[in-house]
Amino acid sequence: MIFSRPARTRVPSEILTVDAVWKRYGDHDALRDVRFSLRSGEAVGYLGPNGAGKTTTLKLLAGLSRPTRGSVRVQGLDPSRDRVRALRRLGALVETPGVPPYITGADLLEYVARVKGVSSAERVGAARRAAEAMNVADCLDRPFGSLSTGLARRMLLGAALVGDPEVLLLDEPTLGLDPAARHDLRNLLRSLSRNGLTLLLSTHLLEDVQEVCGRVLFLRNGVLVGDELVNLESDLGPEGARRTVRLRFGSDVTDESVARAVGSGVGVTLEGPRQMIVRFSGGDAEQAGLLAGVVRAGLPLVSASTPEPDLARRYMERVGREDAA
Amino acid sequence: MSGEVAALAHNARWEVTRLHRSRRIWLLLIPIVAGPIGSGIADLYLRVPSSGTAEVLGLLITAGLAALVILDLTALAVGEDLALRTHYLTFALPQPRASALAGRLGVVVGGALAVYGIGAIAVAGLAGALVSTSSTAPAPILMPTHLALGLLGLLVFLGGVTAAAGVVTRSASQALVAGILAGVVAAGIGSMFLVEGRLTALFPEVLAAAGLVGFSWCLVQYGRVEG
Repeated sequence: MIFSRPARTRVPSEILTVDAVWKRYGDHDALRDVRFSLRSGEAVGYLGPNGAGKTTTLKLLAGLSRPTRGSVRVQGLDPSRDRVRALRRLGALVETPGVPPYITGADLLEYVARVKGVSSAERVGAARRAAEAMNVADCLDRPFGSLSTGLARRMLLGAALVGDPEVLLLDEPTLGLDPAARHDLRNLLRSLSRNGLTLLLSTHLLEDVQEVCGRVLFLRNGVLVGDELVNLESDLGPEGARRTVRLRFGSDVTDESVARAVGSGVGVTLEGPRQMIVRFSGGDAEQAGLLAGVVRAGLPLVSASTPEPDLARRYMERVGREDAA
Repeated sequence: MSGEVAALAHNARWEVTRLHRSRRIWLLLIPIVAGPIGSGIADLYLRVPSSGTAEVLGLLITAGLAALVILDLTALAVGEDLALRTHYLTFALPQPRASALAGRLGVVVGGALAVYGIGAIAVAGLAGALVSTSSTAPAPILMPTHLALGLLGLLVFLGGVTAAAGVVTRSASQALVAGILAGVVAAGIGSMFLVEGRLTALFPEVLAAAGLVGFSWCLVQYGRVEG
């Protein structure tokens, strides 16, 4: 039996968890029963139109806000209660924070390094490395008031990178960046992700997700309406299968149980506790046999469908036409 | 260091950096320099009947200047980040928010009170040196030592009200206005008690207690601010 799944899923630890979260502002529910988790090393895109609740989710994870119901966990800890330990290895850029115009980039980055527990001997170096990663080391001694919007944004991204975080939450990180800086940032995020960084990337730009992330969440009106792989073909293993089918189940199943049910020669990839992608060689007859095997195994199969490879089309289907980039 | 103590220390240092970069740090010199200078000029050119009265005059000048400093620095320490949304960055850092703000307030409030104290000592020294007290001179309207401590209570009150207003309004300028209004009200009530001969130590004590309540409330609410 060939049991293939992406390398990142070999580490099962869930580093970010959003569990049945509701967030209410006045009489408006910004988030409604949102559930997802990120495993260590995953790069996940978070897509949705304006007002869908993406930034609200990031605020909850970054300890800026508390859920009305449900819980969020960063490395197993509640960021609003156990702030120091939960946020120690987390970098975040949520919305666009303003910085007093008289503060220099070095001031800010060294302050962040100090609070994150970087030793005094390494503090200046840590700040410089973060600035170099964002290509703003030359601007470290300039006050924020003298920086352009894009440079200030890059300095803030540098602040999120100070202290080599294990988890990075980014909210529209490429906003205000020129094309070259945007390209550099995507390369940097890809590189960090390959080295084990866990990334949750909220954005309107589908190409950000396409180029950086392996998985994507779709949010609409505070409800999670999709949790799937970004690039189905490239993520499903090298064995050259030709047909891809998404299986949805009525209750939680494991990828091992599905793999046993579909038999050898079929790649199985977990998309969520109730959703699998299977990839195999063959046509309708093979697909019918595969589905019959799943049913025979007693797995609670609800539907089988062919997933669309195109992220833009999937975005349209999940959240509608607004804000598709 | 525990998380709270570390946050206090890191943010006290951060506030010093902010005061230095914004050049607001020079404001702390005003009560030390301008207070004694103003007091000395008054001692020399006004017909001050006694060194005690000269001290009272000098303390009022110095405390007035210190009040402007504590109002301005406290309003900015609490309200500037909330107005600029810098807290989207600082609240996501691994530190207790209340301790972080306490570290910053410790610098500005402690600094303003310290410079008031230094100015008050200088004023007392100048009054003793520049003004001689005749045997027929009337007693000063207030005991200088009592006034000095009472004004300390007023400064704590102004800082506490301004800090609390900073969290409520999320704006340094509005917090400053609230602090000024509170100061006017406190000065009016104090003057009324003085005229009526009912001014006792209880009044500045109540002011100081109200100020401390304001600071405490500010710290608790700051920890609960939602972005």
